[in-house]
Amino acid sequence: MSENGNPNLPVDRALTEGRVPDRTSAGVPELHEVDCPAELRERIEQLMSRYPDRRSASIPALWAVQERYGWCTPEGIRQAAAVMRVTPGYLESVASFYDLLHTEAVGSHRIEVCTNISCWMRGGDELLDAFRAAAEGDEDFYVTGFECLGACDIAPMASIDQRYYGPLEAAEAGIAIAQLKADAEVLPAKDQARRPLAGDTPNPGGGAGA
Amino acid sequence: MPDPRETRVLLEHAEDPALRTIAGYKGYGGYATLERSYREMEQDEVLKELEDSGLRGRGGAGFSMGKKASFLPRGEMAKYLCCNADESEPGAFKDRELMQRNPHQLIEGIAIAALAADAGHAFIFIRGEYDAQADILDAAVAEAYEAGYLGTNILSTHRDLELVVHRGAGAYICGEETALLDALEGKRGNPRLKPPFPAVQGLYGGPTLINNVETLSNVPRIVANGAEWFRGFGTEQSPGTKVVSISGGVRRPGNYEVELGIPTRELIYGLAGGPREGREIKAFFPGGSSSPVLTAAEGLDLPYSFEAMAEAGSMLGSGSIIVADDRVSIPHLALRTARFYHHESCGKCTPCREGTNWTVKMLERMVHGEATPMDLDIVSSVQENIIGHCLCVLGDSMAMPVGAMVRKFRDEFEQVMAAAGPPLDDETRLAAVQGPAETLGASI
Amino acid sequence: MSREITLTIDGREVTAVEGEMLHDAARKGDVEIPVFCYEPKLGDPVGACRMCLVEIEGIPKLQTSCSTPVREGMVVHTRTEQVKQAQSAVVEFLLVNHPLDCPVCDKGGECPLQDITQGWGPGKSRVIDEKRHFQKPIELSPLIAIDRERCILCYRCVRFSQEVSEDAELQLLDRGDRTFVGTFDDRPYVAPFHGNITELCPVGALTSYTYRFRARPWDIEQAGSVCTLCPSQCNVSFTVRDEKVKRVLGRDNAEVDDGWLCDRGRYGFEMFADAKRVDGPRLKGGAATDWKTAIEAAAAGLLQAGEGRVAAIVGDASNEEGHLVQRIVREALGSPHVDSRPSRGPRRETIVGLAQPNLSARVRDIDDADVILVLGTDPLHSSPILDLRIRKAIRRNGARLAIATERPTALDGGAEAIARYAPGDAHHFILELTRALGGADTVATPLAESLEGAGKVVVVWGERIGSFGATALLDLAKALKLGEADGAGLLEVPDTTNARGLREAGCLPDAGPGLARVSGGKSTEEIRAALESGELTGLLLFGVDPIRDFPDTPAWEAAITAADFVVCFSMFETATAAKADVLFPLETHAEKDGTVTHPDGRLQRVRPSASRPGDIRPNFLVLSELAADLGLTTGIDSQPTAFAALTQAVPFYGSIDDASIGGRGIRWQDTPSGSKSPEPGKAPEPGSPDTQRGALGTIAETAADPRGVASADPGSGASLALGTYRDLWAGLITELNPPLKFLAPEQRVEISLTDANRMGLKNGDAVKVAQNGSSVSATVSIKERMSDGVCFLIEGTAAGNANALLNGGPVSVEITKVEA
Ligand SMILES: Cc1cc2nc3c(=O)[nH]c(=O)nc-3n(C[C@H](O)[C@H](O)[C@H](O)COP(=O)(O)O)c2cc1C
Ligand code: SF4
Ligand code: FES
Repeated sequence: MSENGNPNLPVDRALTEGRVPDRTSAGVPELHEVDCPAELRERIEQLMSRYPDRRSASIPALWAVQERYGWCTPEGIRQAAAVMRVTPGYLESVASFYDLLHTEAVGSHRIEVCTNISCWMRGGDELLDAFRAAAEGDEDFYVTGFECLGACDIAPMASIDQRYYGPLEAAEAGIAIAQLKADAEVLPAKDQARRPLAGDTPNPGGGAGA
Repeated sequence: MPDPRETRVLLEHAEDPALRTIAGYKGYGGYATLERSYREMEQDEVLKELEDSGLRGRGGAGFSMGKKASFLPRGEMAKYLCCNADESEPGAFKDRELMQRNPHQLIEGIAIAALAADAGHAFIFIRGEYDAQADILDAAVAEAYEAGYLGTNILSTHRDLELVVHRGAGAYICGEETALLDALEGKRGNPRLKPPFPAVQGLYGGPTLINNVETLSNVPRIVANGAEWFRGFGTEQSPGTKVVSISGGVRRPGNYEVELGIPTRELIYGLAGGPREGREIKAFFPGGSSSPVLTAAEGLDLPYSFEAMAEAGSMLGSGSIIVADDRVSIPHLALRTARFYHHESCGKCTPCREGTNWTVKMLERMVHGEATPMDLDIVSSVQENIIGHCLCVLGDSMAMPVGAMVRKFRDEFEQVMAAAGPPLDDETRLAAVQGPAETLGASI
Repeated sequence: MSREITLTIDGREVTAVEGEMLHDAARKGDVEIPVFCYEPKLGDPVGACRMCLVEIEGIPKLQTSCSTPVREGMVVHTRTEQVKQAQSAVVEFLLVNHPLDCPVCDKGGECPLQDITQGWGPGKSRVIDEKRHFQKPIELSPLIAIDRERCILCYRCVRFSQEVSEDAELQLLDRGDRTFVGTFDDRPYVAPFHGNITELCPVGALTSYTYRFRARPWDIEQAGSVCTLCPSQCNVSFTVRDEKVKRVLGRDNAEVDDGWLCDRGRYGFEMFADAKRVDGPRLKGGAATDWKTAIEAAAAGLLQAGEGRVAAIVGDASNEEGHLVQRIVREALGSPHVDSRPSRGPRRETIVGLAQPNLSARVRDIDDADVILVLGTDPLHSSPILDLRIRKAIRRNGARLAIATERPTALDGGAEAIARYAPGDAHHFILELTRALGGADTVATPLAESLEGAGKVVVVWGERIGSFGATALLDLAKALKLGEADGAGLLEVPDTTNARGLREAGCLPDAGPGLARVSGGKSTEEIRAALESGELTGLLLFGVDPIRDFPDTPAWEAAITAADFVVCFSMFETATAAKADVLFPLETHAEKDGTVTHPDGRLQRVRPSASRPGDIRPNFLVLSELAADLGLTTGIDSQPTAFAALTQAVPFYGSIDDASIGGRGIRWQDTPSGSKSPEPGKAPEPGSPDTQRGALGTIAETAADPRGVASADPGSGASLALGTYRDLWAGLITELNPPLKFLAPEQRVEISLTDANRMGLKNGDAVKVAQNGSSVSATVSIKERMSDGVCFLIEGTAAGNANALLNGGPVSVEITKVEA
């Protein structure tokens, strides 16, 4: 709600006394104004050098910020903005467009469960519920439903810390979370990278297809 | 062993993990075509081979790759090549496999296509979720630089090519070619107005050739073996092989490489094993979630080719089949589909932004028992109002399949709406409709 | 290039310019195609809202008319069933999420969404679904409220921030239908032009706090005038209710402002009714009096000061007012001492030389320039609208930008070459630049390279380059061949709002009306000295506040105190006004009737739109009566008579009349009388007053000055060369307008990172900046782009005014940290 409570009532404070905003605006920060770690700065500078236009590095730079701070923190965005010589607003705008860049704090383990068509048909919603239940209350885990991750062959599947696993049984959600907590290898048998090509195996769909 | 019904060209030797390394790739004859083309071929020769091959884009629109490359203006200016590895359309996962199993084939294809386009700077725009694949590509690109296949003065031919793997960060719209350009320029991935087309004014304002991973992966073989060889596969209008992603209600989901024109039934029943025990196929998307669904009766006996699918009122698109069996509720499927496009709409243009949003709300009401048959007509009309009116075709990509579902399975919608709960009676419904209408009338 | 073609729209033949957008061509043919996102001022069309879809024969899909260039023979339909269906569909889509809270919306009655819904919408709603919700209204900035529920995501506001003002602070956040307009970390959007977004928004999503709930369209009238708060002289339209200004809007004039306003002009109207406003004549000590008494007292006092012993300084004044003041001084008081410049200015010969029509650029020339040279000014602070204009030229037309200034400017980011010279050293730099253009290898060579071979060069130069700088500029203009190329030329950014008009009206010590040569007058600085010494005894101040705004505050205090009799015309109670023996009120630009002259020579008319508070009378009448009491009958009793007297006195204004000024103004150079501008002077006769004026040097003298470019010595002790500038937000306008108050700058001393490290200073440290016994308090502000060895302070701040440290010569200061 607005401070006035009723939005239909006049909001004329500016007229009467003039105000002092509590925070300043956000132009391009100068490097000395932010406390940018040297590695981050070098990383972003190296990223910028890959492109004809420095701004092309905005997504990679935001990835670097996210890697460093766990999410795109306002301070991290300001640091990247100072290195890239763009406004922090510009970077926040870019970050907020993309599903994998987080402009709010999230857990350090990220589990994206596909709930799109093919996964949904094979139990994606139930898998998401299972992951949510297994991670419940633990702030280290960020569990979310996600649009098609490009792995319908192993539906239902999930991306756990940027690696693909499937087809998963609901029960495997708990196992995966336990493995993550124990710092153990996650569901080795369900690692997408280790699967043969579809035509090379008699039943690539595994148990889930039955 | 591959299934004998497959025709593996792009996926040849794909089962060999060594293929990922430059040594393994060269062991199967890789990079020979790059060497030959860089040393011996002129831009026009490469272009001609590609045009003659009839290779059609594998990213969705099916446009002739060679022709598109020929649209780039000639002359001294910075030109770019972008490989579209955003693969985010529900049902599509073939590019993932191609990059993961044979990254050098793609790199070689990009390098040769860059000759055709006279591009000095190339980018692979890979969706951010494909982290493992991006790592594989990064390693392969480093190897290729090391071997002198990329960089400046490639193989001492005075030809240069820089190749950068650029990871996206989760937005389907970035697969749309102009949105991809904005994303690569470091902006939000919003599509641009066309014209100008990217071939004329693309990345950083320079002429830009944009092709799909699979399209570009085809290039080395075409240039190596010639257009005629390529035309030996597939149909007249759809030459070549195609990696088809099959998923959903089948026993053996996965990627299968086949000659275009093979009967669809062979793909779904033969290779993918048909529906699971005790189920039947009700309908399928022949070319990813943006292709209008075909009922089993309509579609199973069609040849799997660009032209046959277009004739049937759908499209081959990226070549991804999603099968819905008889346990799938079509209204729910429509809702899933619509939700995806609603979530992924970039929001730049009105019909797509608001149309996807409104459609989802209406479909939700339908499956929750808060709708009347009137809503079905409104849903249909909203799809009509979207089609052809948007800035890019994302909106159409929802409106076409959803429209087709309502059209082809209207009675199922009516049943779901009836079963989901008591529909609003007509009076309540009318009051609801007229309420806002009056508000609107009074305020303007 | 621009070929005329014919196309058919709805069966009618329309003539258009090839390549212009179909929407614009249609409008010429009286066919209105609705638009939301299209606004050519924002750059290339984006085709996002899809409101403007039309049918073009031969193209199967409907096309957006905002982005389709017209071609010969095109056949267009805008009212077919297919088009109507599409347009009403788009309206329906837009309303899916729009709250339709028109009865309580400020935009109601002047809302494009309302109008287009009425004209092109479906007429009834089929939407029963929940709309999106946001907290509302919230503060986007201290000046603007945003109601995100009303936003139709046309992106105009965001495009303005990205592509026009280029502050890139206003952004889109999130995606799809969740998209909203916002800022980084929800910080306030504070940027000098941000008020423009309230005019761009086609719905009630962005509204100014200053106007919310203050009027309805049927209560108000719009009145066109000109903003005289800075030399840009932007065209404005006052929204007036009950004879009071409630809002200021832009009034698009591509020759002046492109339709934009800075926030000072937009929000600087609350002060019209401020308690500090001088609202009637007053006598010494502030006692209110009647007009007759006041005028008689003023006349008596001035006469008593004695023949030839009164001086006048004019600042914020119309041409007519300036003309009358100088007549009073020269004709009625027999004194030659008139000036209109805060400090030392160039002599008449230079001014005449610089005013030659073939040398002068018009604002529009910036658009098409090959190279723009910004010399000795930061347009953002001194003539804000030119900042936008220069950005536009770079962004849209690929103009190149070269900058030579003391202090980093807001435009640096877009510059191809930047040169920094030491404070006060502009003239040296210009000489070096001229030599570099002639082939010599000098400090200015890199900058010269960016100017070489350019066809159209527009030099935007600041009056602050000083009198020597202005003289040197004449040679630079010659070296750049500015007089020869069409579209090339000089455009001045003066220090005061109507500087050119006042000079041409005769308010110069060595030039009368029409820049006619006169002699014997003292310049502003000399007047000050003569007051202190007692040589002059009477002072007439019109629209100036020397104690705050002129260099060397202590000297001015002393001079005004020393004067026997001071008549002051002032809008507000100021330190200067407090010392007046007779104080007269001034009109604001919403009350005044008169003309002003833009720095490019355009005469524009300021028209009264609002009532004058209290007992304020038109200034020209007061002056005319004062003249009469002094025995000078002017015959001036109305604006037309005042204007006629002016045009009679200034030969090159001779053929201008009210009709030719019209709503857009007219450049005198473009009128028949323009040919009567004075010839550039031959070298003045030896012994003539021009060469005797000690303060002014010749070029040879200047060149011999041992101080070189960037003479400040980096790395040396604690002493830094002091530069000063007038910040956009320093001054009464910010302080007296409550909505702008928060922008009033605190004094801060800008130094380079190296100097800060050397001196052990950090951002925000409290320091004293001192020279020769006087000092001001400031906080440290480290700037990456600042040169080493110099520091900058703001002039005219309420506290810590840098003018206190200036003395007309180069100043170096010591900075010492104040322990908290
Ligand atoms: C919303 C949308 C998403 C798209 N996504 C992809 C994609 O992920 N990968 C792809 O190759 N093409 C995608 N396309 C098609 C591209 O715009 C473009 O046509 C294609 O990359 C061209 O390559 P091709 O000619 O080799 O097929 C998409 C198109 C749209 C409208
Ligand atoms: S706030 Fe207004 S100007 Fe900005 S996008 Fe929304 S409707 Fe357009
Ligand atoms: S005005 Fe043409 S698309 Fe918005």
